[in-house]
Amino acid sequence: MGRFLRSTGAIALAVTVLTGCATVPADPDGTLERVQGGVLRVGVTENAPWVELSDGGDPSGTEPALILEFAERLDAEVEWTPGSEATLAEALEAGELDLVIGGFVEDTPWTEFGASTRPYVEAGTAEGNDKHVMLAPLGENAFLVALETFLDEQAVS
Amino acid sequence: MNPRFGRTELPERQAKALRKAIRFEWGTLAFLAVAITMVYLVMGSSQAMKAAWIEDLLSLAPPIAFLLAVRLVNKTPNPKYPYGYHRSVGVAHLVAGVALFTMGAFLIYDSATGLITAEHPPIGSVVLFGQTVWLGWLMMGAMALTIPLPIYFGRVKMRLAEELHDKVLYADADMNKADWMTAAGSIVGVAGIGLGLWWTDAAAALFIAASILSDGFKNMKAAITDLMDTRATTFDDGRPHPDAAKVDAYLESLPWVARAGSRVRDQGHVFHVEAFVVPHRGMMPTLTELLDARDGCIDLDWKVQDIVLVPIDELPEEVGGPDRSRQSERNR
Repeated sequence: MGRFLRSTGAIALAVTVLTGCATVPADPDGTLERVQGGVLRVGVTENAPWVELSDGGDPSGTEPALILEFAERLDAEVEWTPGSEATLAEALEAGELDLVIGGFVEDTPWTEFGASTRPYVEAGTAEGNDKHVMLAPLGENAFLVALETFLDEQAVS
Repeated sequence: MNPRFGRTELPERQAKALRKAIRFEWGTLAFLAVAITMVYLVMGSSQAMKAAWIEDLLSLAPPIAFLLAVRLVNKTPNPKYPYGYHRSVGVAHLVAGVALFTMGAFLIYDSATGLITAEHPPIGSVVLFGQTVWLGWLMMGAMALTIPLPIYFGRVKMRLAEELHDKVLYADADMNKADWMTAAGSIVGVAGIGLGLWWTDAAAALFIAASILSDGFKNMKAAITDLMDTRATTFDDGRPHPDAAKVDAYLESLPWVARAGSRVRDQGHVFHVEAFVVPHRGMMPTLTELLDARDGCIDLDWKVQDIVLVPIDELPEEVGGPDRSRQSERNR
């Protein structure tokens, strides 16, 4: 009996690990799955040249260009939501947004509201180098890793 | 010359155990230095990994305390420290216990808050040899590497702690057990995150914190009671130490002794024994008889070293005498 239980347990574990590999890490709230072939809800806040907003038109700048390409890869439509950093961070935490961009840097104060990506580009400023990041929903790790993998492949300068 | 605990030159067997314990503690420190660096590099924002890392940091305390204490107790008693330096072991034990307890309490608060406010821990990726890899895999790998050695260290130290009657070493063996269980717990926590279960991480951290807290409480209590001169117990505080009964039985076997009873307190490695001896009526012992009795007690066990023989008319209450009979006050 003991041996039976042990081998069943081992098989169950192996199955979990094998089927898990494809989906590890997974999103507790299924963000990546929902966005694929759906809508990518992006919060944008003005911060030239990373994000530039114009009246009536879609946002432009380095980051919106990147996001459009990311969305294309996920076969998703982008829905832009402009706002201040604070309102966008709160919307991200509440699950109303999938991504917030606006030239955020590595030591952004919003990490309690969203998960910052690894820095994807360094930009020289008067004070030194700024390492730029984007904000994803907290704990949606499949989505976060997909975004980071995408950003790794870009040669941003 | 063999190492000493105060005036006691250790018997060959214990001297060997002590040398081995010192080697193992240096080994533990080297292992922890590597583990602490490795876990820090992959820690990310996992609660369980943070708990495991803090646990590793705290694990430094017992080996350091042990290595300091064996140096200190090597000194012989002097006019300023008439009882020698043995208590440094008790102080080290207390420091380790309080540190563990405090950290356990802090971690329980921290991870319970995470659970209640439903914090979803983000674990992103890293670039490794040009590949983007989920950091969780590295976390689990790093934790798995820190499991086998603590299991081995813990087993050896437990044996040496008994041989040397060293409670700091015992606390350290306990800590090694907590170490590898912590590592296993954080693997479960991170694996849970990988499967999309955000709460497993905080739950694993809570479990780890509870085990740290209970180790801390146990050691703090043991250290405090030893410093309070509770009766001497075995190295694991499991039962009263048999040496007290041995001393009494030996003394009562002497022809001039009617009754004997002793107070034994644990000084760290060695015991301080106050043996009260009631001679048979009219058989007041000579100085030689007293000296021989003292040497006989010391020969019973290397741990009996600081012994005082007190001839008296009746045993004090604490060691089996009649009620209201004390030793340090006039009571009739």
